[in-house]
Amino acid sequence: MTRRGPTRTSPIRCAGCWLLALLLAVPLALASRAVHAAPSLHYPATAGGDAASPLVIHGALDLPQVRPLLDAFHRDHPQFAIHYRNLSTLALHERFLGAPAEADVLISSAMPWQYRLANDGWAQPLETPAARRWPAWARWRSELFAVTFEPIVMVVNEAIIARFGEVRSHADLLALLERRDETLRGRVVTYDPAISGAGYTYAIEESRLSPRYWELVAALGEAEAALAGTTGEMLEGLIEGRYLVGYNLLGSYARERLADQPQLRIVVPEDYTLVTQRLALIPRQAPHPAAARRFVDFLLGERGQSVLARETPLGALHPALEGPGTAAALRRRLGEALRPIALGPGLLATLDDLKREALLTRWRREFLRRERR
Amino acid sequence: MTRGDSLSRRLLAWLLVPLLVLGSLMLLQAWFEARRTADRAFDRLLEAASLAIAEQVQWQDDRLWLDLPPAALEMLATDAEERVFYSLVDHRGRLITGNAELPGDAREAPSDDDTLLYRDIAWQGLSLRQGVRRTRLEEWQLREPFEVRVAHSREGRDALAAELWRANLAMILAMAALAIVALLLSIRTALAPLTRLRRAIRSRDPRTLAPLELRLPRELAELRDTVNDLLARMRRVRANQERFIGDASHQLRTPLAGLSARAELALRQEDPARWREALVAMQATSTRTARLAMQLLSLTRLANPEYRPELAPLSLNVLAREAVREHWSSCHRSGVDLGVASAAADVEIRGIDWQLAEALGNLIDNACRYGARHVTIRVGEAPPSLAVEDDGPGIPVARRTLMLRPFHRDRDDLEGSGLGLAIVDGIARTHGAHLAMSEGAGGVGLRVTLRFPGETP
Repeated sequence: MTRRGPTRTSPIRCAGCWLLALLLAVPLALASRAVHAAPSLHYPATAGGDAASPLVIHGALDLPQVRPLLDAFHRDHPQFAIHYRNLSTLALHERFLGAPAEADVLISSAMPWQYRLANDGWAQPLETPAARRWPAWARWRSELFAVTFEPIVMVVNEAIIARFGEVRSHADLLALLERRDETLRGRVVTYDPAISGAGYTYAIEESRLSPRYWELVAALGEAEAALAGTTGEMLEGLIEGRYLVGYNLLGSYARERLADQPQLRIVVPEDYTLVTQRLALIPRQAPHPAAARRFVDFLLGERGQSVLARETPLGALHPALEGPGTAAALRRRLGEALRPIALGPGLLATLDDLKREALLTRWRREFLRRERR
Repeated sequence: MTRGDSLSRRLLAWLLVPLLVLGSLMLLQAWFEARRTADRAFDRLLEAASLAIAEQVQWQDDRLWLDLPPAALEMLATDAEERVFYSLVDHRGRLITGNAELPGDAREAPSDDDTLLYRDIAWQGLSLRQGVRRTRLEEWQLREPFEVRVAHSREGRDALAAELWRANLAMILAMAALAIVALLLSIRTALAPLTRLRRAIRSRDPRTLAPLELRLPRELAELRDTVNDLLARMRRVRANQERFIGDASHQLRTPLAGLSARAELALRQEDPARWREALVAMQATSTRTARLAMQLLSLTRLANPEYRPELAPLSLNVLAREAVREHWSSCHRSGVDLGVASAAADVEIRGIDWQLAEALGNLIDNACRYGARHVTIRVGEAPPSLAVEDDGPGIPVARRTLMLRPFHRDRDDLEGSGLGLAIVDGIARTHGAHLAMSEGAGGVGLRVTLRFPGETP
């Protein structure tokens, strides 16, 4: 199948540039990159004889988080020789377009990219009972599956809470920023949507949710908020004490990093909480489709999902699972406030160059409003 | 009756085949209609999405600018989760933005204003429905034409078309089933009288010839009446046969009884001269009886409708002269003058000589027996005819037809059998000739004429 070569991506070339600039190390990959020098994992096939087959997984999912999953899968299916490559979301995407027959499974948190691949017909359908039972809001056709459930959170230093009171929602944050207190000047940190793909995605989603988002951007600008490229950067600054408030951090990473930082509190906003999801797909040209189907089926099954819930901070989506680390638990706590990023053609708009330009122009304008005054 | 040639099968086939063809055509039409309807419904989405996009197109920084509304793309995807593609193209065909380089639509727009063209395209191996909106940006100084091209995959349309078609299919199938049931019932009802007629005929006593009494529809009533006519004719034939047999037995019994009485009387005598006398009388009687039996036989043969003798050409003049030669001496003995008036030319017909000789013999015999003095055989030319004329007492007009019946005798006479004229009539019919009785020359006596058909050969 050589339906489409990578050279055909010209309309998004430009989008590629900006992502290249910023997604080089999408936040997810960064947090533990120092710890694990080799961004890949190998599991030899230990059984199966004739049924032995390689399985190549490309994921934007750090090794500590993916390891429990692969361990469990390898225990269940020792006949597969697993080769996992941890890549940044952009690298993963580019590499796939360059060699669409290399990987058996793609897992990435760059939802628009993954959606676009599936929309353009790069993915093959998975028809298993687990796939059919998967909640409709967390899949697209039977080609693209959301496998994790990760809220976007704020991190607030306890000192701020002690001084200004609880910060529970976006409205609280806006009120806090609008006090224009000198303590916060330059000590609030958030994504720079111009250099971070994740930050841009959140900005677009939040601006669609409410026009008050622009007030928040203006308030952030007024507080001379620092702009970071990754969750990792923001977490570093918060731990070091350079920043007192972090806005729009990836909850799964924050939970892991801040477990031993009692002075920093993770706030899951009560008014609305964006939820991002990692999307898995099996490329149409996957070299080992049977192994790929087995793995994704495992990810969607109760077993894979309970590993996700118990042993990773990623958040399990399976509707039958309860308890900490599951979407069900989060839902019970936050109810209607959860806003999972919709898995639909709206994501394609996110990738539109002009759209991006328009949104960033607006964002910059709002952010720099104070200077103009 | 073979199964293949059953009336109900024939009817069923002739009705079912057009019905099935019609049904298939309806299904085909329903399918196209369902597709058209689904396309119409879903083309509204292309229209709305392209409009939503076109409305966001602006002129900014000396170029076309689009703030793509995500809702426009979401509009294009229904529950069927279609793949969605869009592109914005300027008037030179350059892509401004979009997630796919969709092909343009070469068709002429019906007008220069805002227009929308729909069509099915195959793009990158995907089967898509595309809508191309051609419109222009109108600002104070600016008239900038551009195209919004949107497309989505066909799953939603196909699902709707299939659903519409299934609904139609169910209805058409139900109608077909109903039509077939109605067809079977009506064929059965229509053919029921035929079955009744068959049963009525089959269940009859084979000896009865009574007419069929059965209420039937018009077409079959005609058949019933025809059968009844046939039965009536058979009844008459049988009545004739029964009377003939009765008469024949009666005729044979009388001379046999006479013979028996004569023999008994002679046996009481001792005188051989008496015996001889009796024997002579008995011989005459038995000769007459034998002749009677012969006549009965030939009459039976003549009455057989399947008797088709070979006809040979023969001359009537020769026939008449031979009859005179044969009968002249016996007539002369009884003092009757027998003559012939042959035709000037030779008259030929096709016939059987011995039968015609027999007929002439019978007529001459009858004439002699009933008191004629002069008997003449006449040969006619046009039409060919044979006539025997006498100057006897004749037969009144009213009774002439009766004379043709076997065993009918005009008056009591023991000599005649009453078969003579009946046999002549039978022979005439065998030859297709017409037997006529009239008065003889001068209004006395009887003339019996056999008029043969056709021309002189």
